[in-house]
Amino acid sequence: MAGWTCRFLLQRGARLLSPRTESSLFIACRRTVKTTTWFEEHLTEDNQEYMRKIVGEDYRKLTAERLNPLKDEPWPRHEWTEGRGRPKFTSLLHAVVQDCHVLKYLTKDEYDGRTAALLVGGKNVSPFHRSESEMEMFRNAGVPPKQKVSTFKVSDNAIIKPGTPLYAAHFRPGQYVDVTAKTIGKGFQGVMKRWGFKGQPATHGQTKTHRRPGASGPGGDPARVWKGKKMPGKMGNIIRTAHGLKIWRVNTKYNVLYVNGSVPGHRNCLVKIRDTTLPLRSASILNPPFPTYFTEEEEDLAEDLYDESLFVHTEPSLALT
Amino acid sequence: MATKSGCIFIQRRFASAAAAVRPSAAEVRSHRNAVFLREQSRQRALFPRIEKIEVSMQGPGLEGTLLVMNKGMSTPLSCARHLTEYHVTSSVLALVDGELWPLHKPLMDSCALRLLTFKDRDPTAVNQAFWRSCSALLGQVLETAFKDDFTVELLRSPDVPVTSGAFCCDVVLDPQLDSWAPSQESLRSLTRGAQLLIHLDLPFEPLDVLPSVALEVFSHNKCKQEEVVKMASENPTGTLQLYRCGDHVLLSSSPLVARTGLCSQFEVTALHSLGSGPWGLHRRAQGLSLPTQLQAHHTVWNKLRKRAEKLVRKS
Repeated sequence: MAGWTCRFLLQRGARLLSPRTESSLFIACRRTVKTTTWFEEHLTEDNQEYMRKIVGEDYRKLTAERLNPLKDEPWPRHEWTEGRGRPKFTSLLHAVVQDCHVLKYLTKDEYDGRTAALLVGGKNVSPFHRSESEMEMFRNAGVPPKQKVSTFKVSDNAIIKPGTPLYAAHFRPGQYVDVTAKTIGKGFQGVMKRWGFKGQPATHGQTKTHRRPGASGPGGDPARVWKGKKMPGKMGNIIRTAHGLKIWRVNTKYNVLYVNGSVPGHRNCLVKIRDTTLPLRSASILNPPFPTYFTEEEEDLAEDLYDESLFVHTEPSLALT
Repeated sequence: MATKSGCIFIQRRFASAAAAVRPSAAEVRSHRNAVFLREQSRQRALFPRIEKIEVSMQGPGLEGTLLVMNKGMSTPLSCARHLTEYHVTSSVLALVDGELWPLHKPLMDSCALRLLTFKDRDPTAVNQAFWRSCSALLGQVLETAFKDDFTVELLRSPDVPVTSGAFCCDVVLDPQLDSWAPSQESLRSLTRGAQLLIHLDLPFEPLDVLPSVALEVFSHNKCKQEEVVKMASENPTGTLQLYRCGDHVLLSSSPLVARTGLCSQFEVTALHSLGSGPWGLHRRAQGLSLPTQLQAHHTVWNKLRKRAEKLVRKS
């Protein structure tokens, strides 16, 4: 980006000066010029509008439900057995699942030698700000480019064909999930906010010491400060997981998950939702859609799925007999 | 069926005999080059004494500029070199007294000169010249791409407008290649050849010649000689324009751009078969290219490229 900015400046600067000094300006400021440009630089206005429109239409075509009379058959699906991992997926905060697709399947050997993995991408973005090498993976899968790509470890009988869309109905109410996201960044914070230190009293003679850490360690024996000592520093903007959150309601029409408790991250951020790894809660996953929810097969799913112990607000609260 | 195979057999026998007599492609190229250089030096020698002409420049920021140049030696490119490097790199064609003039053609009289770029208000003529030059470049690549056993005949390429989606180069390949359909890999290798020529930044040197000289240049090639005769009859002045790019000499009825380095994105997209003609199986090679000043984002380029693969029909 800096490269062509320089070239832009050179061209603009050249026109401001008189012709006499232009050649000397070019000789003095010779730099390697990158020739990348923003996509609409050389297009006429109606072409710019056309490109934006056509990209949207292409995305709709790619993500629409399609028939599959093609040679590449859908991959074989296996029965769910206890203890097997399912693929899980990325979605927007407040659990709106937006345009999630499976992008790539990595075999055991390609990934880490132990488990297979699936690359899943969420939330479509425009192709104009992605480079060609990044677009290659999306092109191979036949899906629009995604904002976030994450990896999920799966068992071998739970692999899904790249290009399959993933929906909120992949999860069922009553199930427990782990939600991972990047926490809200707080910047450089002091020790009281960051680590919860008590600080010092406000009065009674304290001189300029109200929020400081105080002592930094034992004393003469180590004669140093331990590694990892809690001190002020940058807080937040790191990936954290909230474990064991229960799903109370799933809306299949708008792809919304209603999840208990608090979830890391700010409003409208991207989160990664997985089936929980907590041993006492993993048994709650009984007969889930395996490997994922396919709309062609299970078409008779109600729009809203509620947990058994949840009162559905549309039903009458009292039944007088 | 037996007679057909017998005919092909006999043709091949005679063809191989003719091939032994026919000069190799390298010899043909060096002969054409030699004749071109001879004619060029002869035309240059017509101006032994330096006579001055006055060239008044027209264009944004150049009003009132008067350059004193040499008659028969200075070209619009040398006028641009007196101005700035920007003018040198961005000029594609020149407009001399309202007439389109290739950038390397010498100026004969005092005139009004305007340098044309791709970013003018009305770049139609420049775009058309660019399309024609790209098709000439494609022809040059095709001539040099095949092995020596196979003949390649370049036919007169149709002058398609830029809006048709791709530039074409009509070619007739060796009869042995009638059933050959190029794979993506072969198209990519043709693209690589074209990119090499673009990287070398060879100028398109123009030359106005009489039909007799042109016939001598293309003395090994009957198809080209017919084309020479037809073009000479179409032209009111009776002269023809030859262009030389590297060591490849070609005919063109209208001006071409200044040099090959002006194209940046170049891709050979398809090779379609049109049907048999008087010289053999006609094939149309199509390509897509954009100049350095108007580069496209890869999304836009992929869209254009998909369209360039479709057959372009001469309207």
